[in-house]
This record gives sequence, structure tokens and C-alpha cells, in this order.
Amino acid sequence: MHISKKIVVLGHFGVGKTSLIRRFVENSFSDNYKVSIGVHIVKKEVELSEEDTVSLILWDLEGTDDISRIRDSYLLGTHGLIYVFDVSRPSTFQTINDDLKKLEKRVKGVPVKVVGNKTDLILLDELKTVLDGKEISYDYLTSAKTGEKVNDLFEQLAKMLALDAEKI
Amino acid sequence: MTENDKIQILKDILFAEDSDYIEKIAHRLENLESTLNDRQKFSTKVDPIILHQLEEFKTSIPSTLGPTITAALKTEIKKNKDEVVEAMFPILGKMIKKYIAHEIKLLSEKINKQLSFKDRMKSWFGNSTKKQEIIDELAASHIEQVLLIEKDSGLLKASYSVTQTIDEEMISGMLTAIKSFVEDAFGQKNQNLELIDYELYHIHLQSFNRFYIAVILSGNYTTKAKDKLQDLIFDFFEKFTKKDDYHVLDSDSINKQLAQNFGHAHL
Repeated sequence: MHISKKIVVLGHFGVGKTSLIRRFVENSFSDNYKVSIGVHIVKKEVELSEEDTVSLILWDLEGTDDISRIRDSYLLGTHGLIYVFDVSRPSTFQTINDDLKKLEKRVKGVPVKVVGNKTDLILLDELKTVLDGKEISYDYLTSAKTGEKVNDLFEQLAKMLALDAEKI
Repeated sequence: MTENDKIQILKDILFAEDSDYIEKIAHRLENLESTLNDRQKFSTKVDPIILHQLEEFKTSIPSTLGPTITAALKTEIKKNKDEVVEAMFPILGKMIKKYIAHEIKLLSEKINKQLSFKDRMKSWFGNSTKKQEIIDELAASHIEQVLLIEKDSGLLKASYSVTQTIDEEMISGMLTAIKSFVEDAFGQKNQNLELIDYELYHIHLQSFNRFYIAVILSGNYTTKAKDKLQDLIFDFFEKFTKKDDYHVLDSDSINKQLAQNFGHAHL
């Protein structure tokens, strides 16, 4: 069975959304930072078994400090969201709980994966203490630079969406 | 004479009138039974009554059932708004096209009246050379690719392609993003992006309720070609939405339908 799913990747400026996608799709990383404008769409096929594949159509949205400014039309019909923050910059995760509530209102029932990126820049124990202190829960801590947990994130999401599709 | 015979004589004397009456009733019942069992006889008696009732029913429908039917229709339309819009779209599209074509014809006739005979002769002889015909033929529009795309998610539902191009799923996503961006930018929710031009290619976008169709064309995309293409699109969409479960149909069957509709089309 082959299914296609739309995934929107969003978060503040410079948190590494594009780098995460590039690591997953092309298995590459570049230190040259280029600001994404508008939206960029990339596709990656995830093979779950010999017969089952999921095409992830990744919508890489431009970074924004205000989640409410994201166009509704970009979120329409999405099957999953990936909210990315930069673990080395607290300003990118201070409003995370409010942002998630706002997103939940706009795309009801759509699964959201919260991802702390750039773990290569910080000690994990320190980070976990900070996040616990701010009552921020996350699903994955990744590094687009080293590739840590990047494939896990997308592959798990693909599996989850495939299972959801089977239930329908 | 026995006791019973005496009683019978007494009965005959006492109930003579009643027995006549019973006989008449029995006779009538027999008649009634034969009428009921004979279809033709029964029909001659009953048909006028039924017809009369039907006539009365017809005249009383608007006042008696009208409000109930209207309320039921309203509720049904409210409940299944998407389905109603989807079903109406191709029909309305054709109606609007016919109306516009008619208006253009009238306009053209008016212009022709305004032009002098000399102008018209000049125009005919000036344009209808063999050379021009060949140029027109060479520059005609050709359908290169047709994509049926889910409007909200931008996911590709089905496609038809003459030549293999880059990933159709990515094209569908990008087209949806461009379409959404342009429509948002102008703040006109009820208006749709209809055409994207890039040098030798044109992308015609036809929006419906849940889906839109993107047709990639090469060559000279004229109003006449657009007109023919829209007819093809509406025809396809009408066939596509005929089945109740059209939005969950598998891609292979829709791909075949697209190929049938657009495969040998000349614009």
C-alpha cells in the first residue's frame, strides 16, 4: 500500500527546520544559513515494509516568532505537524505551550511532534533541567548537524500516520 | 307431519318477508364479489374516485407538503453542503460558459455590424492564408500533464502525463502553496488563481470544492483552447463525481479516467 501524507514543519527563525529536512531527505548538512521565505516543499518516501510506503510531503514553512501569523492555507489538510525549537536559544521555546494550544485550535486532532534541535550545541542534562523547569515537554531532541534522532523522528511519524490511515 | 315440518311451515309464514330480504342481500353480495374479483369492473368503479383524489392531492401539495419538503431539503443541503456544491460545480460552470459564449457572440455580431463591408473583406483576405493556417496549427496548445489535486492538503489524487517530468507529488504541493499564497495575498477568499504562465508553458488551474485540476499545456494557449479545455475538465469532473464515494476512489481508476478524457484531446 502506498499513501501520501502532508507534514508541516514550523517554528521560530533559525531553529533548523530546513536543516532537519535536508538531513532526513538528502542526508546532508550545511553551516551556511539561508532564511526560508514562504514555503518550500520536499518529498521523501519512507519504506515501512516491502509492500508499504509512505510519501511524506514536507511543507517547510518560513520561521516566525508569532505562530498566529502562519497562513491557514498552509495548515489546511495537514496530517501532522513538527514544531521545532532551538535548544540553545530559550527565546525559541519560551512560548511553546501557548503556541501548541493555538495550533491545536487551528488544526484540531492533528498529531504534533515537538522537537528540540541543535543538541550538539548544549549538554543534554542541562537542557533537560531547563525544559523541566519550564514544564516543556518534547518528543525528540535532535541534531541536524550530527543526524542524531532525525531519522527516528520522521520514520516514527510516518509509521504513526500509516497506522492511523489503516484504522480509517 | 313431524314437529320439525310444523316449525318450518311456521317459519315460512312468519319470516316470509325476511327471507326475500336476505335473498336480495345475498344477490347484492354476489354482485359485489363479482365486481371486486373482476379487475375491469372494479377499475371502472374505483378509477374515477382515485383520479379525483389524485387531482385534489396535486392541488393541495404546495400547501400541505410544500413546507415539509422545503424544510427537509434545507436540512439536507446544510448537512451535505460539500456534496451539493461538488455536484453543482460542473453544471454551473457549463451554464456560465454557455452564457458567456452567447454574450460574446452577440458582441461579435455587434462589432461586425459596425465594421464596413470593405473592412471585413480586408480582414478575411488578410488572415486566412495557408501560411497562417499552418502557423496556427503548429502553435496549437497541447496537453502535457493533468493533475487532480486535493485542494486543502495539496496531495496528488491522480494524474495523466504525456512525458515524464519531475515528481508530480512535489509539483502538486508547490502549486497548492503558490495558489494559496496568491489567493491569500489578494485577500479574496472567493477568487481563485486560474493561470500560471512560464515562457512556452501554461498551467491552467480549475478549482472545485474539494479538488482542483491543474493542466500543464505547451503551445499557444488561446481563448478558444481555454474554452475547449474547460469543457474537457467539466466533463471529466462530472464523471468523476458521479459516484458517491468518488473522494475515496483509488488513484489507478482515476488515472485511467484522466487518460480517457485528456489523452486524445485536441485543443
